[in-house]
Amino acid sequence: MSQTLGQRTASWLNAVGRSVCRIGWPRTDKDRAAAMISSIFLHIHPARVSRHVLRPTATLALGLISGILFLVLSVTGLALMLYYVPYPPESYRSMKDLQFVVTFGIVLRNMHRWSAHAMVAIVFLHMCRVFWTGSYKAPREFNWVVGVMLLILTLALSFTGYLLPWDQLAYWAITVGTNIAAYAPLVGDRLKFLMLGGHVIGPMTLLRFYVLHCVMLPLLMLMLISLHVWRVRKDGLSGADLHLAAPAEEAAGVFPASTKTHGLMALTRRPRASVEARDPNDEVFAWPHLLFRELLVALAVVIVLHVVSLVFMAPLEEMADPTRTPNPAKAPWYFLGLQELVHYSALVGGVIVPTLIVAALVGLPYFDRRKAGIGRWFAPERRFANTTFTALAIIFVGLTIIGTLFRGPNWAWVWPWN
Amino acid sequence: MTEDRIDLERRRVFAVGCFGIGAATAGFLAATFRFLVPNVLYEPSRRFDVGPPVDFPPDSATFLPDRRLYVFNSADGFYAISSICTHLGCNVKHIGAGFECPCHGSKFDENGRVISGPAPQPLSWYAISLSPREQLIVDLDQTVGPEFRLRA
Repeated sequence: MSQTLGQRTASWLNAVGRSVCRIGWPRTDKDRAAAMISSIFLHIHPARVSRHVLRPTATLALGLISGILFLVLSVTGLALMLYYVPYPPESYRSMKDLQFVVTFGIVLRNMHRWSAHAMVAIVFLHMCRVFWTGSYKAPREFNWVVGVMLLILTLALSFTGYLLPWDQLAYWAITVGTNIAAYAPLVGDRLKFLMLGGHVIGPMTLLRFYVLHCVMLPLLMLMLISLHVWRVRKDGLSGADLHLAAPAEEAAGVFPASTKTHGLMALTRRPRASVEARDPNDEVFAWPHLLFRELLVALAVVIVLHVVSLVFMAPLEEMADPTRTPNPAKAPWYFLGLQELVHYSALVGGVIVPTLIVAALVGLPYFDRRKAGIGRWFAPERRFANTTFTALAIIFVGLTIIGTLFRGPNWAWVWPWN
Repeated sequence: MTEDRIDLERRRVFAVGCFGIGAATAGFLAATFRFLVPNVLYEPSRRFDVGPPVDFPPDSATFLPDRRLYVFNSADGFYAISSICTHLGCNVKHIGAGFECPCHGSKFDENGRVISGPAPQPLSWYAISLSPREQLIVDLDQTVGPEFRLRA
């Protein structure tokens, strides 16, 4: 009877809160570590991270931004699904509804569209960053391969989403895209038939693309992203071990790096447990140092997306008309580099070059096995690799720009300012 | 010794069982793949009539947008050429005597043979026949050579 009603209520509420989150708001370093370890969501990060990889220039946060974009796309996509009907011609009408009838429908649609475009670009830049810092080398070879799969999945998601508005832009971009696939040797025609669910783009095609776009590919993507991030967490970010304290500095630290206290629960076969290569003096707690930065980046991304979506409208042309080909008919912009090649030879641009690119990307970490220059931007030891990759990337981006801006009717050369 | 033999026997039975279950799973997967191939296509018929011959004036080329097809009535008879570019499936336009594709600039002559551009093959020619009710019938599953003419 010594407690007031207020105190008893507070204590009861506290107990309820603790039943949800056992740690509560962490106030000590021990709790900050426990908060990261005990949560299924936060556990994707380690409890402590090297302060060197927290510098913005270490990763440019490109992988994080890709992940945030995937989240934004999932949320906006789920919202759009409430109004979108995957059957022509209602599909086109529901797009018109989203633009002119549904409150904030146009903003959500713009956001979905621009996030999708941004994701393709950011994932590409993320790949460039990983290459330029030599981060695909052992022990991260397979994670690079997972990254290549994620790049392909990003393109596949974007491509399947491209058909859904069922306007002229969508219809002819998918016509060109699926016909490129039909050039694949032996299986090409069957592949196209399977993709379209028939001989021509019709209701079956739309339904197939819809299910792939909304369910199958996102689920696959979620699994691969989890694998990708989990492996980053296990291997650490490249470059962290470049800053291991020299013996002289070590003495000045809180604990000597060589006597870090950690429990060895079992002898593992893994040649280097990730704790061995880490210097505790060099690390900060993920809560709040990492989480705060991630939150900041997420806020910035969402704000930029909102501004862009309020200013720029996603295109919606006339309803798909199989009898009238627009001139020029273009694939989605990220395939325009390929379409530019396809303009010279469909087999080279549509089959040989894409196959070579994917094979080279997958094989890269297994053929380039030199250890030098891991974790540093443009390391001089990697001059040859970096020069080659940059040259190829510039050629590809150049072809994409030519296909996007410099090609007019009949795929003839035009100047974009004319 | 006998216990070892029983153990070996047990392993063999287990291996055979696993193999059987694996084969059944593979079979189910193959069946699932077959499931993806549609048996009925709700598409326009690939054999259709395009109207009576009198609809096509002499020495004319008529574009049937719904069928993606050009029907010609020349001095020596009727013939039909597809408007689907063999490169990437855009509609070609009948310009002058030949055809031009708006997507990647392929050019074809009056018989659909490639003059320039990335198209790998000539435009398709389809068989035309006359039905008992005096209608021109085009069959998209029956391709013919550029010497084909239907006298009506």
